[in-house]
Amino acid sequence: MPHLTLLEQALISGILAGGLYGLLALGLSLSWGLLRLVNLGHFAMALLAAYLTWYLGTAFAIAPWWAGVAIVVAFFVYGVALHWVFMRFRVTEMGSMLITFGIAVIVESTIQTIWTADFRRYETALAGASFVVGALYVPMLNLAAFVVAALLAVLTWAWLRFATIGKALRACAEDAPIATAFGINHRALSFLLSGICAAYAGIAGVFIALIATLAPSEIWTWIGVVFAVVIIGRLGNPIGALAGGILIGVCEAMTMAVADPAWAPLVSFSLLIALLLFRPRWI
Amino acid sequence: MLLEAQNLSVGYGGAPAITDISIAIDAGEIVAVIGPNGAGKSTLVNCIAGLLRPQAGRLRFAGGDLAAVAAHRICGQGIALVPEGRRLFAGMSVQENLEIGAYRRGARQMQLEGIERVYALFPMLRLRRQQMAGTLSGGQQQMVAIGRALMARPRLLLLDEPSLGLAPSVVEEVFEVVRAIHAQGIAILLVEQNVALALAIADRAYVLEEGRIVAAGVPAALLAQSRIREAYLGL
Repeated sequence: MPHLTLLEQALISGILAGGLYGLLALGLSLSWGLLRLVNLGHFAMALLAAYLTWYLGTAFAIAPWWAGVAIVVAFFVYGVALHWVFMRFRVTEMGSMLITFGIAVIVESTIQTIWTADFRRYETALAGASFVVGALYVPMLNLAAFVVAALLAVLTWAWLRFATIGKALRACAEDAPIATAFGINHRALSFLLSGICAAYAGIAGVFIALIATLAPSEIWTWIGVVFAVVIIGRLGNPIGALAGGILIGVCEAMTMAVADPAWAPLVSFSLLIALLLFRPRWI
Repeated sequence: MLLEAQNLSVGYGGAPAITDISIAIDAGEIVAVIGPNGAGKSTLVNCIAGLLRPQAGRLRFAGGDLAAVAAHRICGQGIALVPEGRRLFAGMSVQENLEIGAYRRGARQMQLEGIERVYALFPMLRLRRQQMAGTLSGGQQQMVAIGRALMARPRLLLLDEPSLGLAPSVVEEVFEVVRAIHAQGIAILLVEQNVALALAIADRAYVLEEGRIVAAGVPAALLAQSRIREAYLGL
């Protein structure tokens, strides 16, 4: 039986890791739930953002927050352009999965060509910083990622729940033709949302660069976990994405602490299958 | 004329649903469109609301060409739809459904006042304003659908089968409301399976069969034709 402190430490790192999962899941969940487009390229774009943050920081000494601002703007434009392609060719839900899988492969190869398949680590002044609570370590950057993830999830939720545009987006997701008949410009709103989703991938990427070790193949390790997070959290539900991320993050960390790190990936999908089988009311 | 369709044709893909239809609605009028299932009644209504675009002919509203207006701007011209089957935003609350009704620019500033007016018309909706629209009974959903359309402050209200699937007592209630809306000076285009009710309330009516208009006139004149009496009232 592992020591109690170990379990507490696992709980903290699980919650913090869950924040990052939630951040990655947010954009995917919104575009899947509200636009009916499954964007597998989301993970690739997040990793691209991570490499850009690292590269701008190490090669040009550009601080990660400035890199973040540039990435958010550029990724928003990419999201709008991607949606233009989806609209132009009337891409279906299934079709979007295939196309964005292609995008993910292309982005992975591009990263590999430019920055090679070597592991990259962004060494910043804050990289090792943490503060101590009792016997527990709370790493600063992971905490920052968690706070940003929670903030974005709550803000996005409130925006969808209370803002006129947020309500209009939900109406479009339920019945686009009728929403249009009441004066909602469905096209314009879906461009906006697609841009926001891509920008969220960019924000997630900045934190991935600060926290994790980068390798091009990371894209594929996230897909499984974050898919589970999105489905557990319900499509199009920002708070659910965060909660799902924390749930999976904690379960993984606990598994690593109690059993063996190799078992961790098994947890997210076992959890997903169990939840889908028993379907509690909040799913 | 408030609304004027001339030789209007609308279809799905290559198949025409309505052909060469000419109708007119004056301000403040109730005009009924009756006809059997599949005659193209909903197609006509959906085309006026902008859900479908005309393939041929002219469609004018208050002097302007509707075919040249983007689908999401038609509501802003003063046309609001109560669609067949109600088509509420089921996962949104009653109040949110009404708010979406007032989404268009001209109506948004008067949203609160509009909501009060809808609740005055349907007091029971006030009690259920936080309830998900999808969990309401059929009659209540119809009231939300009518309320949502009124929120857009239309000059022309398109009512597509408002009595469909409702209990007789609820149907009466709905038609009472239709009369009250008409009394406010709003023109109404009413598509209805219940021919007796539709003709009782309408100023004029069109009979649509297989995508074409086969008869038109005031209700009394239509009811004087034995063919229409037999086909639609079984008398």
